[in-house]
Amino acid sequence: MSAVSRPLSDAVTPQGGLRPVSLPRGRRGSELAMLVFAIVIMAFAYAGVGFGLNGHLPSGLVTYVVGFGVLVLGAHLAVRWLAPYADPLLLPLAAVLNGLGIVMIYRLQESGRGNNPGAIIPTLTTHAAITQLLYTAVGIVAFVATLALIREPRVLQRYTYTLGTIGLILLAIPALLPASHSAINGAKAWIIFGGVQIEPGEFAKILLAVFFAGYLVSKRDVLSLAGRRVLGVDLPRGRDMGPVLVVWAFSLLVLVFESDIGTSALFFGLFLGMLYIATARTSWLLIGLLLFLFGAGVTQAIFAHVGERFTIWLHPFAHGNEYGSSFQLVQGLEGMAFGGIFGTGLGQGEPFHTPLVQSDFILTGFGEELGLTGMMALLLIFALLVQRGLRAAVAVRDPFAKLLAGGLAFVLALQVFIIVGGITQLIPLTGITTPFLSQGGSSLLASWVVIALIMRISDTARKPAPQPIQDEGLTQVVRAG
Amino acid sequence: MNRSLRRLSLACLAMFALLLAWTNYLQVFRVNSLASEPGNVRIFNLQFKNQRGQIIAAGGRQQQVIAESKLIKGGIYQRFYPDPMAYAPITGYDSVLGNTSPFGVTGIEAAENKYLAGTSSNLTVYNLKGLFTGHSRQGASVYLTIDPKVQAAAYQALAAMGKPAAAVAINPSTGAILALASYPTFDPNKYATQDTGQLAKIDKAYRNDPTKPLDNRALNDTFPPGSTFKIITSSAGFGTGRVANQTATIPAPQFYHLPGSTHVLTNDGNAPCGDGHPQIILAFTLSCNTAFGKLGATLGGPTLVKYAQMFGFNNFGRGGNAPPLTIPLPVTPSVIPPGLKDPAFTANSAIGQFDDLVTPLQEAMMAATVANHGVLMRPYLVQEVRAPDQEVVQSTQPTQLARPITSQQASYLTAMMESVTHNPAGTAFFTAGPAATGGLDIAGKTGTAQNGPNNTGLNDAVFTCFAPASNPQIAVAVIVKGGGFGAAAAAPIAVKMIQAWGQH
Repeated sequence: MSAVSRPLSDAVTPQGGLRPVSLPRGRRGSELAMLVFAIVIMAFAYAGVGFGLNGHLPSGLVTYVVGFGVLVLGAHLAVRWLAPYADPLLLPLAAVLNGLGIVMIYRLQESGRGNNPGAIIPTLTTHAAITQLLYTAVGIVAFVATLALIREPRVLQRYTYTLGTIGLILLAIPALLPASHSAINGAKAWIIFGGVQIEPGEFAKILLAVFFAGYLVSKRDVLSLAGRRVLGVDLPRGRDMGPVLVVWAFSLLVLVFESDIGTSALFFGLFLGMLYIATARTSWLLIGLLLFLFGAGVTQAIFAHVGERFTIWLHPFAHGNEYGSSFQLVQGLEGMAFGGIFGTGLGQGEPFHTPLVQSDFILTGFGEELGLTGMMALLLIFALLVQRGLRAAVAVRDPFAKLLAGGLAFVLALQVFIIVGGITQLIPLTGITTPFLSQGGSSLLASWVVIALIMRISDTARKPAPQPIQDEGLTQVVRAG
Repeated sequence: MNRSLRRLSLACLAMFALLLAWTNYLQVFRVNSLASEPGNVRIFNLQFKNQRGQIIAAGGRQQQVIAESKLIKGGIYQRFYPDPMAYAPITGYDSVLGNTSPFGVTGIEAAENKYLAGTSSNLTVYNLKGLFTGHSRQGASVYLTIDPKVQAAAYQALAAMGKPAAAVAINPSTGAILALASYPTFDPNKYATQDTGQLAKIDKAYRNDPTKPLDNRALNDTFPPGSTFKIITSSAGFGTGRVANQTATIPAPQFYHLPGSTHVLTNDGNAPCGDGHPQIILAFTLSCNTAFGKLGATLGGPTLVKYAQMFGFNNFGRGGNAPPLTIPLPVTPSVIPPGLKDPAFTANSAIGQFDDLVTPLQEAMMAATVANHGVLMRPYLVQEVRAPDQEVVQSTQPTQLARPITSQQASYLTAMMESVTHNPAGTAFFTAGPAATGGLDIAGKTGTAQNGPNNTGLNDAVFTCFAPASNPQIAVAVIVKGGGFGAAAAAPIAVKMIQAWGQH
């Protein structure tokens, strides 16, 4: 569509030569239809677990399906009210992942219990799935609250440094707490008090994305323009390297003091991705990558727990590793291979062999029981989610919102890449949750907040242009959008 | 910023494309290599998910299930052996180690593993049907030729004797094995445990047991045949024409000075053998060592070896490198020194001493050959294999294995073996004769083999026979290690088996 034929659209086209935003309708009806489909998928998967385990419809079918259905339909109603123009695909995609996550946790919790085949997973209680449903409720409340509190993305920009500081503090707390209040399975990434476990990194991820967006918006001109050109690469000025080095150093600190390689890589990746969006300078990516490789190389040489990751990755079956340090990885790999193309069927595989399969390794459970087919479907759902997030970033005018949406979408992609790559032996394994699927409230809550933020930005982008107010045909007043 | 956003979304696309490609690689191309990792617990556990086929003793009027898989707690299958001790030498055991260990599965469980586990290509059609009808893979059932009554009688008699022993019964006209018992034996149920630690303990205990309960004495243990070897020496005499028929006389000195040796061969109790020139039937009935030792020496070592090999010795003359006879359990070949030449050794070999060694199955094959008019049928244990829908996927047809003697010569031997039990002077008259057995018409031969260094050990008792002599339908061989006289220790066990068989 040319600008000539649509002069009005052209007027609301954000800078940067974007296509005009067509069809500024909410399409909430489509969202509802897809949501119902997501609930149906969840219901069938849940029933399938029962049939797979012991040939009967599982108890609690109504509870889970109705509970889950009410929650996501409630979210839908909130969206109709709070963000009527938001991308209709985001909520159903998140919902189907969340629903399947509950189903898999239920399946794992039932393993070996009652007359079900398999072994009991000692790290899963009999109320793990219902707890996950409860977390879903909390997550959706947070989703609605985010939409309700943040009516304009730019509101967040005002709190750039406040939120950034809170994010850094959250990230640093586990390192400062004694291990008894912060360490689970070797990773010192938790805040544990009185049976409540919070993974602050999940929330810090969002806060830091906001902080980076605010910071980069104000500094992007200098970061993207100043500097010299050397060998075809635009090098930034030395003094502008400061923030990059600070974030790099901070992520290394997280790595060293919290033994949390996944979170560390995620933060650094998030920052680099947003820096690139803001500046469009490849040199930043190169510098970042070099810094990352240097940091990884040095830490793996110095710190045993980092070096071990490389050994596990390269030689999972060597020297009896498969019964020792690489046991979890090997169990996951063998499980996924056992599932093959079509999988064993829900409830009919043996995912319980993989330690903590309900957490970081939950996708190996899906890979085993739903096969390559299910894995590809889940990966495509994640890919779609990322793509819709980036689309919202492209569509929105406001640079801050653009950076924020781009950063959140990118960090989602990065997180999926790190964990799926890790459990499939593509890259060294680092402990990190699978968004929406893994057991745990922090991860789920944070994931829903991310979706809410992306939907808020999407809503802003797709909102119809303010109509000129006709004042007796004399003056046109255009309300700022 | 949209240009960089678009580039970044391309990077995201690349990451997801890489994940998709890599997952394909893992779940399609690495499936086989990961499945064959020795520690793959999922592959190991497959054995508990499919119902393994039954093993059924189906050679009698009533069938008896001797191995079956039942669902236990946790929805997995476990192997059960309802009559474990009596059938252990036949069924063997199926442990959780299965094919992953050389000792993981034995006996029929090992020999028919493909059918029992349901992985045989003969079951492909059935398993494909299962894809559509929804049943999980199920193993085929193996129907054995074993007659439960004869088997029970054999095992009970052996156990009552309490000495290392074995008994075999064959249908002479088909080669179908009706009973195959060994003592002492083991409990295969103990091997069916799911606990590998427990399994290792049990296996170690059995292997260290000095009574060697895991040995299958009927097929894989060899004993000196003693006087039962005179069946072969006689066959050689008839076959070469040296002895015309059972009434022809042969020289039988009271003391036979072995040629080229200081050793003197005597009869039991240094007794004379008739008038020194008895009919061969009398020498056989009295089991004269001098008569058959001299006959063997006269025939010569190579002739004796040739006839023994026609009956199955030395793996039918093919030696140890050729594949052994399988029924389908592998059978240890019986031995006669293949280069036998020295007349003194030949004389000893002709009466089943020197280095002759037989398995109980070989003994039964000798009697069965005589019973079946000189034709040795291939012994077999598996009658047929049936898919879970009862369709027969494999069945055994009786085949001829060898024909060491003519029908005529077999009738001479039948008369001689009948005399052993019917003639009041016969070595088995008091234990297997008509009066002792309630009128059974048994034809047999006793053997009492000296063994141990300088023959100081307890004699092994051997008895091989068939019944009824006029219309043979069952051939039985029993060997009791250290049992003493064959007639006293072994013959009564054979009689009990024939009686059990005759109750049909």
